Amino acid sequence: MHKKLLFFLIAILVCLSASVFAQEVKFNIDVSIDRDTIGLDEQAIMKIKVSGDSQNLPAPNIPTFSMFEIETRGRSSNFSYNNGVVETSVTYNFLILPKRPGTFPIDQISAIYNNKRYKGNKLFLTVLKDASTINDALSKRAVNATGNSKDYFFEAIVDNKNPYVNQQIVLTLKFYISVRYYGSPELVEPTTTGFWKEIIGNKTPYHQRINNRQYKIIERKYALFPTQTGELDIGRAMIRVTVPSRSNNRRNKSLFGGMFGSGEEVSIRSNLLKIKVKPLPKKGRPADFTGTIGKYAISATANKKVTEANQPLSVTIKLTGIGNIKSIAEPKMPELDNQFSIYRASTSENISKNGNIIGGTKIFEEVFIPKRPGNIEIPSIKYNYFDPKTSKYRFTATKPIKLRVTKPEGYIASGDVPYAAPDLKISSEARDIRYIKENIGDTQPVGQLILENPLYIAVNTLPLLIFAGMIAVRIRREKFEGDIGLARSKTALREAKKRLTKAKSIAHVDTTAEFYVEIYSSVTSFIADKMNISPHGMTIDSIKSLLTEKNAKPELIESIEKILKQSDFARYAASSLTQTDIDADLENAQNIMVDMSGVDFE
Amino acid sequence: MNKLLLYILLACTLVSSVLADTALFDEGNKFYEQKQYDKSIESYNKILDLKIESAELYFNLGNAYFKNGDLGHAILYYMKAKRLAPADQAIRHNLEFAQRFSSLQMEGVELNPVTSFLASLVDSYTLTTLAWTASLFFILFVVALIFRFGLGINRSVVRVSLVLSLLFVMLTSGFTTFKYRYEYLTRRAVIITEQPAVYTGASEQSDIELEGAPGLIVEVISESADFYNVLFENKRRGWIKKGLIAEFWQFFNQSKFLYFIDTAYANIYFNQNNNEKIGVIWRFIRKNNFGAVS
Repeated sequence: MHKKLLFFLIAILVCLSASVFAQEVKFNIDVSIDRDTIGLDEQAIMKIKVSGDSQNLPAPNIPTFSMFEIETRGRSSNFSYNNGVVETSVTYNFLILPKRPGTFPIDQISAIYNNKRYKGNKLFLTVLKDASTINDALSKRAVNATGNSKDYFFEAIVDNKNPYVNQQIVLTLKFYISVRYYGSPELVEPTTTGFWKEIIGNKTPYHQRINNRQYKIIERKYALFPTQTGELDIGRAMIRVTVPSRSNNRRNKSLFGGMFGSGEEVSIRSNLLKIKVKPLPKKGRPADFTGTIGKYAISATANKKVTEANQPLSVTIKLTGIGNIKSIAEPKMPELDNQFSIYRASTSENISKNGNIIGGTKIFEEVFIPKRPGNIEIPSIKYNYFDPKTSKYRFTATKPIKLRVTKPEGYIASGDVPYAAPDLKISSEARDIRYIKENIGDTQPVGQLILENPLYIAVNTLPLLIFAGMIAVRIRREKFEGDIGLARSKTALREAKKRLTKAKSIAHVDTTAEFYVEIYSSVTSFIADKMNISPHGMTIDSIKSLLTEKNAKPELIESIEKILKQSDFARYAASSLTQTDIDADLENAQNIMVDMSGVDFE
Repeated sequence: MNKLLLYILLACTLVSSVLADTALFDEGNKFYEQKQYDKSIESYNKILDLKIESAELYFNLGNAYFKNGDLGHAILYYMKAKRLAPADQAIRHNLEFAQRFSSLQMEGVELNPVTSFLASLVDSYTLTTLAWTASLFFILFVVALIFRFGLGINRSVVRVSLVLSLLFVMLTSGFTTFKYRYEYLTRRAVIITEQPAVYTGASEQSDIELEGAPGLIVEVISESADFYNVLFENKRRGWIKKGLIAEFWQFFNQSKFLYFIDTAYANIYFNQNNNEKIGVIWRFIRKNNFGAVS
């Protein structure tokens, strides 16, 4: 109880402190540029992201840069509410137009928030004298057969024309356009037969000056993984875009001053690319190599360290790295037949992008069923891959997992493990049920119900009967205690019988006097008790009149008189009485008692 | 002398029947180990023919049916085993495991929270355990009564014992009654055939309401000559042919003198021999929907 209370208090404290910390001012300025090297004729895009936990964020102050001209290109804002924390960010876009060559810092960008000045990070931008970032080929492509510069052209390039099979290459499609266009350009993707393709994404359109002409560049990148060796083609991509019609342009100019220029749709195709895919080197190839290319790390975890024999445990094997996650094969399990049954439960993959590099995580869930108790180990699992950067085969391995396998109740060492993979269909092979019991256990007749069991009924009834009996006894006792007359009357016969029993034990000529004393008092006491009077001082005559009053039969009165007189006589002349007389009188006394029970003394 | 002979004969019969059970049980286990599940089922069923049951017997029978691919019977016998030994982990494990194989999982199952709570409290105990516990407290209560009123002892120990034991009597007998109502009076059955049709009425000419699946547990609400009116856990109901489902507990059906018709509010008991009405027990808590109170 105290522990629970303590936990509760700690939880409250943690929550309170979290909310206190949450109230700390959160504010940040992040400055970034799309390229760190540009030609003098080119432009760079600078983004300033102001973020904080308030909805009213200040605009950044941009100092005057003597080396650049800065043009505003709009802003975008973002608002998020996550776990009770509000975060707002505003991104300001600027175009940087260099004035002279050199390497210049971009700093002193700041904002004032809550009376405090916050500074952005410092960056450097290198401006080259001539547009040397643009290669000759590009300059040539921007010129048509007649020597005039093109209004638009479409270029496809790859970063590596001679990759290994399954090695990632990056295909970049760049659409250069220097005239206005309507709507958004429509892309027909290139055919990439023989490759596994993943779109990396579109780059924010940017500008570049080629042959003294300003082009807007729309760029899209793909990650391609060749799945076979030999020469493969990347087909032509096509862009459809509506540009102002040249002929209409002229006419419109003359008529309406070009205000309502109509457009024409043009299709521009990119160049064809040929990729020569190399096979993996045979030299140094491990025997159990499964064809995985990239760079990976493997790890394994078990859901429990202590388990029972024949009880399944789940082992998660995680391969993380760069490469074609979809194509990587399952790690080969070491030979563990004598220790475990192993079943594949599931696989899952998560593909992620880091810049232009495709990678991710593949998770293999395996069910391990230990066959015997004891301390056993899942040994290190080795995974081979080919690293295309170094052109070498490498491997990664898990750490061994130590397990303590306990002995279950009723464990029998047996080669037949009574378990199977959970995804097996029900059949004789489905064995993930606990094994049959060896003994029949306590048997009972079918359908026996405890509530009908005579013993059960008796056990529950008996105490009630006892209680009822005791209550009756108590009531009777209390009644007697309150009414002595009644008590005497009710116990009269019992007392008289006690005396007669005593008399019977001394019914002998040697104890004649004592015998007759008992007989006398048994009769007189009975009558006294019944009538609630004192037995002392009762005479034969008074007894006779009492009995007559109570309508006793004359024969009974006569026999009572007779036995009382006999008793009186015996006191003085005991020796004159024989054993026969004693026995007869005992019988008489007993009969008198029986007869007197019938008299109504009330 | 004659009596002695009779006793000896009786003892011999008892011993021989016990030996027969064990022998048949061992035979069933042997067939099971040899993966001859049909034969093992046969052996176990021979013990049931002797009108003898045990949790272990039902458990092994459930296993044999499971291995034989008969999910309905497997669940039926696991449930029977669980009734006799509800705390047995192996039985619970196998029942849960088998239920995962049911091709049809009930959706929209809403149990009454009070019933569910009570059911979870008494789930690990047999009716016998609960009944004897209630009896124990009842005896203690009566002893306290005897001390207080029979012997007239008015000490605080006696008074406290009286109140406490009464409290426990009420609690344990309440649990016992609940268990009895929930598991014995509520007729439950399991579907034992592949995709049995559940009709909207008690005839094959009726529309098909839904299709069941082996291993699904249903509540039997009423019955006609050939059909049971059953209620599924998700409150859907319909008529299913007798023989396509098996009841967990055939207490009333097997009883020599009584059989029982469940109407909405009353249980009417008839003498099976002359169809004379014996009595009616009105049910103030109407049982339906797997124990929901309405």
